Amino acid sequence: MDIGTVIAGVLTLAVLSFLYRDNPVYKMAESLLIGVSIGYTLVVIWSSTLVDLLLRPLFLDGMLPLIIPLVLGLLMFGRFHRTTSSLSRLPIAVMIGSGAGVAIPAMLDARTLKQLSATVMPVVTASGIPDLSAIVIICGVVTTLCYFYFSREHKGALGSAATVGTWFLMVFFGTTFGYTVMSRMSTFIGRMEFLLTEFLHIAN
Amino acid sequence: MNRVVSRHWIFLGLFVLVALAMGSGIRLDTPVSDRTAELYDFIESLPEGSVLLVSFDHEASSLPEIRPIGQALLRHAFRKNHRLIGMALLAEGTAIGYRLMQQAAAEYGKEYGKDYAYLGFKPQYIAAILSMGESIPATFPKDYLGRPYESLKALDGVATYADVAGVLSIADGSLTTHWMEYGRARYGVRVVSGVTAAMVTTYDPYLASGQMYAMMGGLRGAAEYEDLIARPGGGKRGMLAQTATHLYVIVLIGLGNLSYFLARRKKETS
Amino acid sequence: MNRRVALVICFGFGVVMFAQYFSQHPLARGVNQAVLEYWQIIFAFALLLGVVSFFQNNVRQIRHGSDRPYRIVSLIGLLAMPVVAVIGRIGAGSPFLWIFENVQAPMQSTVFALLAFFVASASFRGFRARSVPAAILLGAAILILLSRSAIGGPLSGWLPDAADWIRHQPSMAARRAILIGIGLGSLTTSLRVIVGIERTWLGGGK
Repeated sequence: MDIGTVIAGVLTLAVLSFLYRDNPVYKMAESLLIGVSIGYTLVVIWSSTLVDLLLRPLFLDGMLPLIIPLVLGLLMFGRFHRTTSSLSRLPIAVMIGSGAGVAIPAMLDARTLKQLSATVMPVVTASGIPDLSAIVIICGVVTTLCYFYFSREHKGALGSAATVGTWFLMVFFGTTFGYTVMSRMSTFIGRMEFLLTEFLHIAN
Repeated sequence: MNRVVSRHWIFLGLFVLVALAMGSGIRLDTPVSDRTAELYDFIESLPEGSVLLVSFDHEASSLPEIRPIGQALLRHAFRKNHRLIGMALLAEGTAIGYRLMQQAAAEYGKEYGKDYAYLGFKPQYIAAILSMGESIPATFPKDYLGRPYESLKALDGVATYADVAGVLSIADGSLTTHWMEYGRARYGVRVVSGVTAAMVTTYDPYLASGQMYAMMGGLRGAAEYEDLIARPGGGKRGMLAQTATHLYVIVLIGLGNLSYFLARRKKETS
Repeated sequence: MNRRVALVICFGFGVVMFAQYFSQHPLARGVNQAVLEYWQIIFAFALLLGVVSFFQNNVRQIRHGSDRPYRIVSLIGLLAMPVVAVIGRIGAGSPFLWIFENVQAPMQSTVFALLAFFVASASFRGFRARSVPAAILLGAAILILLSRSAIGGPLSGWLPDAADWIRHQPSMAARRAILIGIGLGSLTTSLRVIVGIERTWLGGGK
């Protein structure tokens, strides 16, 4: 068994010790995790972005327009002093504005219009039989949207529609809960497999 | 009943159940679902040597679930001799994706730089996805190991999304949504995905509307895919434990509700 | 003054990035490419800012003496990674990758795995069919749990089909409605940010 597996196994057990109660061993492992993961992110950000997209093109290839993002990026560090903290708004404004600008067509097209158009479907088949699935989908979308319409009190027809919408939401939450349980259990099963096979050599 | 059964007994029960299930070594058969078959058919039907962009959009926390999914998909793609270009939109997915590609490639005798390449990570995923639509080499001037883009044969003729057959997003969160909302909507690239089970219901509307071409979900999906490619792996190994834990949770829900209704009846009668 | 400049910049970039969507002109595409690159670089600096902030905060806490051993361990982890990356690089077989695979990834996935226990505990202690909607929720959950296990099919032929129908019809419909709502909300928020009605991102101060 190599030293890496031993370390991974010990740290896994240290984290699992939290199930009994919070303890110094768990806290130490958690602190190490936080430090290492931030350090990892720092290295990846530096090598993949700051060197590749900024420092090398600017200082080695002479792409002078990159001075703009360099200056804007450095302005972010203005937050550390009271007199310069307001300067950090400028690079944030670039990011927020750009993000909002590209989001408009994306939200409108992909998230709203395409989903609405996918909901518009025939409810009666060519042979004259009602299509139950289509009816359920249209009913589900409309009533759930009614539930989320809070500009009017949920009374009368709107109230009834909102109630039906609640049922559809409960089906969604139940389905999501089932899949989430599956996902969490899978993660634990994976860790148990490591502990039993690679670390403790109890199972094949 | 809540006072008698402390949560530690519930924890211990789960621990013992999974240990016994994993220790038994029993493999369970799982019929292949239509959704998993759709993803398999997509990769299978691509002409040999097609270029697939594989994006590792996940964190290390979901690795036990992501690894079988990623392994099954990569094995299939390499077996079909597709050219794979790996990348990551989350920092942690970078190292994991690199390692998964390296391991799968070694199983099929694939050479780095010639049959596959790994571009690494770029932050701000929306900007990265949009930027790649304009120019992939401009977004990734160097690969993960620092080699220039132009020097890698695996990247020959790949400049934008128009040059790739599709994007395979292996995700544990909502990043695949951005591939569809920015990559597909703006540049028309096909998006397929392998996601953790918790994200399956999130993407169902996109699957139904055709914005996502195909999707496989969770350890169960990985087990089904392993059957399709005839390479058992982590998915199949975990099915007995998965089944056992599902039944355990159902029993717990049942017991909890039973105790609730009994207590309620007692209160009503008294 | 500074707030006004930031709002103007936000408006300018918002309009430019929205407008370029509708143009295939080489100038528009060039501007688009440049802004996207700047955005990524600035974002990288923002992450760097977070790292520096974390370092500062921990050093301050160590000086005050609160949780000193844990904070020292955090800082050792933080500093070790770049040192190891510089010395041994980051490719296959490097110490950097080794630390990620044997320290960070196992711990991170185990922290996540703890949720399995809490989900099991919550299933017993919290999930009650107190009302019709709650019963519908639990019914759907149990159906999915049974169908997604290996015994779903052998137990009853209709179970997997019923679960699939639940997932692809009513559940999907509700999720679609949520998506439409989020889409409309995000759209209006983006417009409000660009025109300067939404200013929370500016923070306090002058």
